[in-house]
Amino acid sequence: MKKILSLLCLLMGATSLFAQQLPDVKIEDIEGKIVAVRDLVKGKPMIISYWSIACKPCIQELNAINDALEDWRKEADFTVVAVSTDDARLKAAAKNMATSRGWEFTCLFDDKQTLRRAMNVTLTPQAFVVDAEGNVIYSHSGYTPGSEEELFEKILELKKKK
Amino acid sequence: MKFLATILLAIAAIAPAMAQKSIGNGQVSGSFESTSIGYLDDKKLGDAPEDHFGSNNYLKVDYSNGRFSAGIQANAFLPVLQGYEDLADGYKFYLASKYIQWADKNYEILVGDIFDQYGNGLIYRSFEDRQLGFNNSIEGVRAAYNFGRFVQLKGMYGRPRLYTEYASSWVRGADLIVSLADICDIQENMTLSLEGSYVNRFQKLTLGDDRDKLIFETAGLDNPNLNMYSGRLNFGWNGLSLRGEYVHKGKDLNLDAVDGMASNGSAIYAELGYSHGGFSAVATYRQLKNMTTRASLYDDGTGNAINYLPALTRQYTYMLANLNPYQVYALGEMGGQADICYSLRSKESRYRYWNFHANFSTFYNSFSKRVMWRDINFDVERQWSKKLKTIFLFSRQEWSKSLGYQDLYGSNIFVGDVTYKFDRKKSLRVELQYLLADRHEGEYDYEGDWVAGLAEFSLAPHWSFFVQDMYNIDKTKTHYYSGGFSYTYNRTRVQLSYGRNRAGYICSGGVCRFSPAYTGVNLVLTSSF
Repeated sequence: MKKILSLLCLLMGATSLFAQQLPDVKIEDIEGKIVAVRDLVKGKPMIISYWSIACKPCIQELNAINDALEDWRKEADFTVVAVSTDDARLKAAAKNMATSRGWEFTCLFDDKQTLRRAMNVTLTPQAFVVDAEGNVIYSHSGYTPGSEEELFEKILELKKKK
Repeated sequence: MKFLATILLAIAAIAPAMAQKSIGNGQVSGSFESTSIGYLDDKKLGDAPEDHFGSNNYLKVDYSNGRFSAGIQANAFLPVLQGYEDLADGYKFYLASKYIQWADKNYEILVGDIFDQYGNGLIYRSFEDRQLGFNNSIEGVRAAYNFGRFVQLKGMYGRPRLYTEYASSWVRGADLIVSLADICDIQENMTLSLEGSYVNRFQKLTLGDDRDKLIFETAGLDNPNLNMYSGRLNFGWNGLSLRGEYVHKGKDLNLDAVDGMASNGSAIYAELGYSHGGFSAVATYRQLKNMTTRASLYDDGTGNAINYLPALTRQYTYMLANLNPYQVYALGEMGGQADICYSLRSKESRYRYWNFHANFSTFYNSFSKRVMWRDINFDVERQWSKKLKTIFLFSRQEWSKSLGYQDLYGSNIFVGDVTYKFDRKKSLRVELQYLLADRHEGEYDYEGDWVAGLAEFSLAPHWSFFVQDMYNIDKTKTHYYSGGFSYTYNRTRVQLSYGRNRAGYICSGGVCRFSPAYTGVNLVLTSSF
């Protein structure tokens, strides 16, 4: 038992050595076309936010980003990708919601958990900030009203580094 | 002591600075998830389990370098949480998945544990759901090839995982997608594809065993091979979408079959959607006949499946609306749902809008033609300003606990949900819910009326505190209360709560696991890197 715990502690302690780049996987867009996730990197930063129909804070976060998007885009050029983790049960409803809400995002549908597993998302909501080269530079789990500001601050930091 | 050890583990996970460095040209990423419960005695519920403690832990580590990637996942149950199936001895540490993969531009090959799905998953889906203790990945090999945008072909072969072991069967399958829209170079905003899948399950025989005789002679199953075929159509054009799938399944044994005899199965799935501006609507229909497909004919349990048959009903986020979820009757059901959304946005302010949503779902028993489930519901969300948002939800649910053979229970559920932002960081969300049960000759349906409430105060971006209670007014007069807080730092989140939890089914998609009632302290840690 102690060995197992020590091993886990060691592995967790080693996380400061590790980094993450956008994985090379393909998933479906809102029209049902297969999209390579790395092809979404088009020389500008990106916010990627995972959501599902049954995740209330996820939808709160996406609504909050969408509300603020007009103001944010006056200060920085970036894109937003919303990844639904809904499976076959709720995928149709998720597409329905994404269409009606007027979200100005690229909407992807990860019903096979391909991208979710590749990006090690165990909890939704989870949002990532990706730089113009496809490197994940920031991520947070969970959502509390106001925490979307952190994402935009990271986008502004990327702009300053340019 | 074990609880302390888990807390130490949690601290170890929070500690790392999030500095990010690549290792050569490769990189390592991963995640850690831990759920631990200290079970307490509760006069209302009875004694806690003898061990008074459970802890489920998952560590996943991936390495990628260009087109190459590899990874492992280790699970540690120290011991397993109450209600998880097939872990009688409680303690288990094992390698839950491993893989190596090469993904080139047009092809990929994976050796290890496969997570994938063909079509809607009606004949094959392998996935992991930790809340349910579900992992039916296929240990074997998968290859996929794309002929440009025109044709996608993939195949796999391996043995399915059954909880912490492997099923006594081999599964192989292939999936083909032909994009007619791309082949015929039809206009850009149109998608049209024809698709098909084949899955075979070979049940290993334990020769001489009485169970072989029971399955392959008494039940009329004449072949250890089960073959399933699926044909699909996908069409989309200017906001209009049409998807359909038909499944034929060979002779298989279903434990729920009234006569205990093996028989063929089939499924039909149809989906029609339309969207324009802020309006969108989708209607789905599904029919199942003998579609439960176990990974092993010699074993039971919700984790013993190679296909996916989700309940096509609305998934709620409110406690009382989720009290009695619909459970799929794969032996013979037909039904569907309609879902309509409309968003009305102010031209002056992005912070003022209405979102209207209505949903209807119903399912019938194919044999008796009686209703097993019906739910008509709507919700109205109003963002009044930057500070204030309200939601009102109503749901009328009718369900049968006897597959429609006896009377339906009915309930009307009302929910009010208010979020108020005091400033950029502080916010308060309050939910009030009431479940009004139908009365027949003065008697309440099922457990009678319920009331519930929740208050959640958040200090963005790190802290959130909540208290909630769910109370049965009429029959059990029991409070199911809880309170706690969560702390989030970048990709690490810790939640500590205390409360009493009601017994019931935890459902994800079409899979449900019975969770016993308990009172306890709950620590959840998630972290990724």
